[in-house]
Amino acid sequence: MIEELRQRLRALQKSTGLAPGAAEAQEAQETIVPFGIEAIDDALGGGLARGALHEISAPGEAHLAAATGFALGLAASARNLLWIAEDMALAENGAPYGPGLDLFTLQPERLLTAAVAHKRDLLWTMEEALRCRALGAVIGELRGGALDPVAVRRLSLAAGTSGALALLLRAQPCDDASTAATRWIVGAAPSTEQTPFGPGAPRFATELIRNRRGPLGSWILEWRDQDERFILATPAQPVAAAPRHRPRQKVA
Amino acid sequence: MREVSAPLVIHGKRGNADVLTAVDETAERLGLHAGLALAQARAMHPAIDAIAEDAAADAALLDNIADWCLRYTPLTACDGANGLLLDIGGCAHLYGGEEKLVADLGRRIARAGFAYRVAIAGTIGAAHAAARFGEPAAYAAGNERDILYPLPLAALRLEPAIVASLARVGLKRVGDIADLPRSPLTARFGQSLLRQLDRALGQEHEPLNPRLPVAPYVAEQRFHEPIAREEDVLGTVEKLAARLGIALERRGDGARRIELTLFRTDGAVRRIAAGTSRPLRDARDIRALFTERLAALADAYDPGFGFDMARLSVVTAESCPSEQIGIGGEEDAGELVRLVDRLSARLGASRVGRPVALDSHIPERAAATVPAQTVKADQGWDAFRRHRAEADLAPRPLRLLTRPEPIEALAEVPDGPPLRFRWRRALHDVISAQGPERIESAWWSEPGAQSADNRARDYFRVEDKSGLRFWLYRSGLYRDLVRGDLANAAPPSWFLHGTFA
Repeated sequence: MIEELRQRLRALQKSTGLAPGAAEAQEAQETIVPFGIEAIDDALGGGLARGALHEISAPGEAHLAAATGFALGLAASARNLLWIAEDMALAENGAPYGPGLDLFTLQPERLLTAAVAHKRDLLWTMEEALRCRALGAVIGELRGGALDPVAVRRLSLAAGTSGALALLLRAQPCDDASTAATRWIVGAAPSTEQTPFGPGAPRFATELIRNRRGPLGSWILEWRDQDERFILATPAQPVAAAPRHRPRQKVA
Repeated sequence: MREVSAPLVIHGKRGNADVLTAVDETAERLGLHAGLALAQARAMHPAIDAIAEDAAADAALLDNIADWCLRYTPLTACDGANGLLLDIGGCAHLYGGEEKLVADLGRRIARAGFAYRVAIAGTIGAAHAAARFGEPAAYAAGNERDILYPLPLAALRLEPAIVASLARVGLKRVGDIADLPRSPLTARFGQSLLRQLDRALGQEHEPLNPRLPVAPYVAEQRFHEPIAREEDVLGTVEKLAARLGIALERRGDGARRIELTLFRTDGAVRRIAAGTSRPLRDARDIRALFTERLAALADAYDPGFGFDMARLSVVTAESCPSEQIGIGGEEDAGELVRLVDRLSARLGASRVGRPVALDSHIPERAAATVPAQTVKADQGWDAFRRHRAEADLAPRPLRLLTRPEPIEALAEVPDGPPLRFRWRRALHDVISAQGPERIESAWWSEPGAQSADNRARDYFRVEDKSGLRFWLYRSGLYRDLVRGDLANAAPPSWFLHGTFA
């Protein structure tokens, strides 16, 4: 009974975006996926919220593998993971390859895949999977095109009931209205240490372009497979800060 | 609508001649009959309506009627081009006796517009003979001699050549050969003659070969008023599943494959099957499976004027130990299995998969996705990890393309990594590369071992200027070119096989 009330309280806190108190830090572990990077965790209020929908788009189709890696890195802590993709997406960009998955500490045994013919089936499957308590994360891969806002809303609600991490992986950034808690654009970034043995650890140029809690930002992350987490990486080349958007000041 | 009075005949090729194969009542009254040449029939009655026969459609129709007859017994088989065999042993009492069953069958068949002859007998041969050559009636078992003796020999399902040669020596009726010495008959006409006779007389057992496998567990429900709504059908499924569940539990079995047969009032039969990933007994789970199946069918479910009978059968059963449910982490597994079943029922079993490791060093054959419902406990990844630790394999890509895609690549030295390459019309400048990792061809296997795509490959992991990482390989080695045999060897070519995060 008390557990049930607590759960309801947690759900309420989640939906209002209140940060859980210090006493509930332990419980917060179960409801969020912390990055372990202060700047990002602050912006997100402790980490990526479970039981909510997050959109991850690649800046272009070539960067889809990087976006996939980012999504898998986030979902790696889940006990069971379902990956849903359209047939076309699998044919165009390749299917997840078992021997390559454990770079993201995802044992292939924990992965379940579903190939669907239409976007409609994809949304249905995702919703159905999100209602299942045995899954820790559900990744849906979309090739392109706008999404029905009602369907996305349904996905958000379904994610809320089971507390699973719902990730929508898109090959192209899309600015349609959506109820996703966060929206990211994730592409590949050049790795710094060019060892004689080839490319270094994978790096991701991530950009948080929408956040229900407010703060946005962009970071270069590196995946550390020894620590099984992302770390903040220094950019390979020095970058000038992007000019601020000041619409009122006309340039003379 | 076809004009009722126009005589209808069906014609087809028999040998080289176009002959009538069937005629309708009007045509029969005019003196036309099967076997008559079409040209002759046309000459006699120019107004006949002649249609070419369609054997495939006839067979499909017979199959449909056989399916429809499943309402009487699960053991139905097609008998020749125009007959059906039903084993009604133990089923007749459900209809209140053989006569009532025959009456019910006749009423429904006649209502569907078919002419029919029914005979019930103790053996397949006797029933076949009586329905075609004798008096259609119900004969008690043991009376085969009385049925068969006056009938012509063709009634024994013999080859026409044997019947003709028997006729030549004056043997025309079954009774003529029944009491003749057996060994000269066998010597003269072959074994099949006496075997058919023995089978028809019940002296040798003849098994019925049913069209569909007989399910070990069956439950059925008839309705006085046809049902059409999906909820009603699902409710019936649950009720039948509960009945099956009791039978399954008694024998310690669970269902792996379940089939729902719906009999529409107009005679159409719908068969809907659903598979499960573990032996299933719970009625609610079975109902949930069929909810998805019916939803996936959408328009193809088409109740018409309703279903007047439903049958749920367990086609494949597997032993399933009773288990205690609901404590601890085990419930998680159960929930995942139920999800897999639901998704498989809706999307198709082959679409819901799990990755398994296979025993091959060729990258595209080293892993595969198999239907999650059939996957075994050991998916082979432990063995793969051991192998990788021993062989110290280079990293593998996150996503592997279904088919390696050819790229145009420029390499500094023939055996080195590419400097720049073009994939899907975009140019990539390689900044760093790891490799080569040589993967030899599977020269020992397959007939096409010498074909172009079965050559040694050198794999490279490369990163381009913008940080994209690819898995490329060069198919074929330059050393093969140097060795001579230039005419045969194609120059090495480059492919892109996968992408890294």
